[in-house]
Amino acid sequence: MTFHPEILCPFCGLGCGDIGIDRDDSGIAPRPSGCPQADRLFRRPMAVATDARMAGTPVAMDRAIAEAARLLGAARAPLIAGLATDVEGVLAALTLAARIGATVDHERSDALFRNLAVLRRFGWSVTTLAELRNRCDLVLVVGPDPAAAFPRLWERWVAPAPAFVPGGGRSVVFLGGKPLPETVQCLAGQIETQGMETDPQPDLATLVTRLRTALAGRTASSDARMAELAARLRAARYAVVVWAAGLFNGPQPDLIVEALARLVRTVDGTTRCAGLPLSGADNLIGANQACTWRTGFPLRTGFDAGAPLHDPDRFDWRARLRDADVTLWISAFRPEVPEFGTSGSVIMLAPPETAIAPEPALFIPVGTPGIDHAGDVFRADSVVALHAGALIDRGLPSVADVIGRMLAALEQSADTREKAGC
Amino acid sequence: MLTKLAGGRLFDPANGRHGEVADLWLRDDRIAADPGPGAAPDATYDLTGKVVMAGAIDIHSHIAGGKVNLARLLMGEEHEHHRFAGSACGCGGGSGLATPSTHTTGARYIEMGFTAAFEPAMLGSNARHAHMEMGDIPYIDTGGYLVLGSDDFLLDLIATNAGQAAINDYVAWMLTATQSLAVKVVNPGGINAFKFNARSLDLDEPGPYYGVTPRSVLTVLARAVYELGLPHPLHVHGCNLGVPGNVATTLDTIQAASGLPMHMTHIQFHSYDTEGDRKFSSGAAALAEAVNRTPTLSVDIGQVMFGQTVTASADTMAQRRTAPLAHPRKWLAMDIECDAGCGVVPFRYRDNSYVNALQWAIGLELFLLLDDPWRVFLTTDHPNGAPFTFYPELIRLLMDRDYRLAKLAEIHPDAPAHTTLGSITREYTLAEIAVMTRAAPSRILGLADRGHLAPGASADVTVYTDRPDRRAMFERPDLVFKSGRLVVRDGTLVAMAQGCTHVVRPGFDDLIERRIARHFDERLGLSLKHFRIRDEEIRHGAGPLLHPCRRREVP
Ligand code: SF4
Repeated sequence: MTFHPEILCPFCGLGCGDIGIDRDDSGIAPRPSGCPQADRLFRRPMAVATDARMAGTPVAMDRAIAEAARLLGAARAPLIAGLATDVEGVLAALTLAARIGATVDHERSDALFRNLAVLRRFGWSVTTLAELRNRCDLVLVVGPDPAAAFPRLWERWVAPAPAFVPGGGRSVVFLGGKPLPETVQCLAGQIETQGMETDPQPDLATLVTRLRTALAGRTASSDARMAELAARLRAARYAVVVWAAGLFNGPQPDLIVEALARLVRTVDGTTRCAGLPLSGADNLIGANQACTWRTGFPLRTGFDAGAPLHDPDRFDWRARLRDADVTLWISAFRPEVPEFGTSGSVIMLAPPETAIAPEPALFIPVGTPGIDHAGDVFRADSVVALHAGALIDRGLPSVADVIGRMLAALEQSADTREKAGC
Repeated sequence: MLTKLAGGRLFDPANGRHGEVADLWLRDDRIAADPGPGAAPDATYDLTGKVVMAGAIDIHSHIAGGKVNLARLLMGEEHEHHRFAGSACGCGGGSGLATPSTHTTGARYIEMGFTAAFEPAMLGSNARHAHMEMGDIPYIDTGGYLVLGSDDFLLDLIATNAGQAAINDYVAWMLTATQSLAVKVVNPGGINAFKFNARSLDLDEPGPYYGVTPRSVLTVLARAVYELGLPHPLHVHGCNLGVPGNVATTLDTIQAASGLPMHMTHIQFHSYDTEGDRKFSSGAAALAEAVNRTPTLSVDIGQVMFGQTVTASADTMAQRRTAPLAHPRKWLAMDIECDAGCGVVPFRYRDNSYVNALQWAIGLELFLLLDDPWRVFLTTDHPNGAPFTFYPELIRLLMDRDYRLAKLAEIHPDAPAHTTLGSITREYTLAEIAVMTRAAPSRILGLADRGHLAPGASADVTVYTDRPDRRAMFERPDLVFKSGRLVVRDGTLVAMAQGCTHVVRPGFDDLIERRIARHFDERLGLSLKHFRIRDEEIRHGAGPLLHPCRRREVP
């Protein structure tokens, strides 16, 4: 058995770099990290089936690649989605999409687009995790506890004493959401909640509006607690407003995000204040970054006669699935896939342990970045990119390898057609 | 593969050639000596009457990294309207003008005969991202200048009197870890001060928390760069960008260098005086005079050209100040990782605005009043002053006085009175353009085998038809070779090529690593192991191209 300390975790987007991994002949297992995601997803057996399957029947990899290229090359309305892979994998997927005229989207991009909609029409003022950790004296958490999606957020970025706050004190206020029990434990004594006095599921939009009204100094006297919170925001040296838009439920979540972006600007006019919009497990942020630098547009972009075309509603993968005749589904991080109904054929690139019913037209097992091969992923604050290394060799190719081979097969068939004069 | 470029007029100032007719030989990816009679080239191009230069080099262009990608997102409308399909060679597709996508960036540069462009504001915490983007830009060589000067670690070293040696080690360590080519300072200490709610910081004003002045940040960094022997002097974006009257600060900044080499960037934005009714006038003459008599200084201009663009900068303090002028009315800002920040503000420069018209004139004045083309560089601070695709138009303005006067007559009527532009008769020559865009950039960056046409140099060659309309000439070269491969013919992409990424790696004393490691663990929540960028991460495993540093001592 060998022990590997300081392993980088690629899963939720917090980029913890302190995972301890034990490796022996049977595979790898993590030392308990306090994170349910890492504790589960770093556990991988050595012996896995590395064969591809065509309609459930094992086939050689070459055969599977050729079949995938044939399906994709002939597709009229192809979709490349899931897109849960490292940056190389995403870039390969974009090259393929441009080649065959496919649209691309990430499985979890819903949360991202709630934020992007605001960024694109209004802009924002935001910060990153280390700034939160070192400068922030008042954390305002809006909505459900982000720890549900980012398990070690508080432990790693808020529990440590801030370096630049005189006296080191920091308060954490939850507005319209309840901290999870682990959060309460982790931030013992620092947490206050607000807005849930009468209603366990308060209307977030209304709460944020009340706070903005208070900031503008127009509060009714009955809203004294909101006035007090507004005063605290104004008095803080560096307040950070944290939200995970993916966890907002209720209509028009992007309007809540916009209200928060405006709220941050108001406070930042006199003292410092910044937002921290969190989104992105499974390298969602990296997929969006790569799509943006390669095409000029965020995810939900397709290629129209070779030129990129973006449409956040029409190219949402759930909508697009309905009329896609071929779907390439990429899910390299975890062995789960969401339910999806399509009448087209599905080519799936996923870890070998993935259980799926019904069997897709084609299943190609791939490795996980940070486990089977090295790969780059972006952190949830969108600034820091991390290079996750390889831990075991199970003979599983990366998504980029597999797509590279599909592209080569497509080129070859194009060459043959040209030579035959058709 | 042996290629003969026969009988062109060679403008190769690094080797003393100013338009003489000669053959040029390329063997594989390098310029080769004349192989003598009997040589049988695989390809021959008759270049009789054509102008032949090395590939052009842009020393300051925001082409990659987080702020560029944010700018792309913010400029959605522009991208909707400018979408490009890829060409047959497999490249050039994408979208955008002011913030072109990666392939579009490479395509637009190479089509104009540029074979290298350097990202001048790479934050340490964002370096891996910047490198991924640079690796995705085809055709051109790239490299990044590491932004230092508002990072808490450096300010702490200065505040605790850690000494110049420790600072040098830290700078060298960071350059190595982030695979950078040079050091840039942006609003020294100012981005950090902004995080503590300071909204301005002058050269000799102690910043909050550390009590360190911008002047001391500048001088320790300039000295570190000099002593480590980096080829490129400290790349300085000074205090008070865009503020009327800032020419005084800029002149003081030159003094602060006290004889150490320094490169002052986008000086157009730092050349404003306060004369006239509007309290905004040109300070170009005074600044040009100071630069002309300081041989250790070099500058680039950051020329403003009229139209829609976007400003993207690490200078959150300045961006925050100009945000109310955003057009369209949206902007974004970030505080980043105890390191620096970024601000993105869209802008439309209008020729009928007094201020914009004067900015345009000030940039041209500077170009024309600075007498040594070896110390002046062609930049628009892309995309801050204008997209880099405006270079051919800018070259025409520099080379053609009549055209310049015609344009001057079109701008806001009050602006000409506040600049000397109308009275300047100078016209740049082809030889001077070749200095400014080829020979000088390669020299100031220490790229020994770029920017010239002697045997052994990288076979990056651009061939133009000599047209009286210089804009038309520089917009559409006849031929462009990148590393010996013909990639552009008659302004059209014909083949794909990849450039390389240039870096320096000055040595350092390992002792510093312990202190840095503690900072990374305690403050950044990221170990050095995960921060450091490995060679195999550069350009998909190809690795970087290393340039030597020569340690020196301050006399
Ligand atoms: S919090 Fe996120 S990054 Fe950290 S260990 Fe858990 S899944 Fe991994």
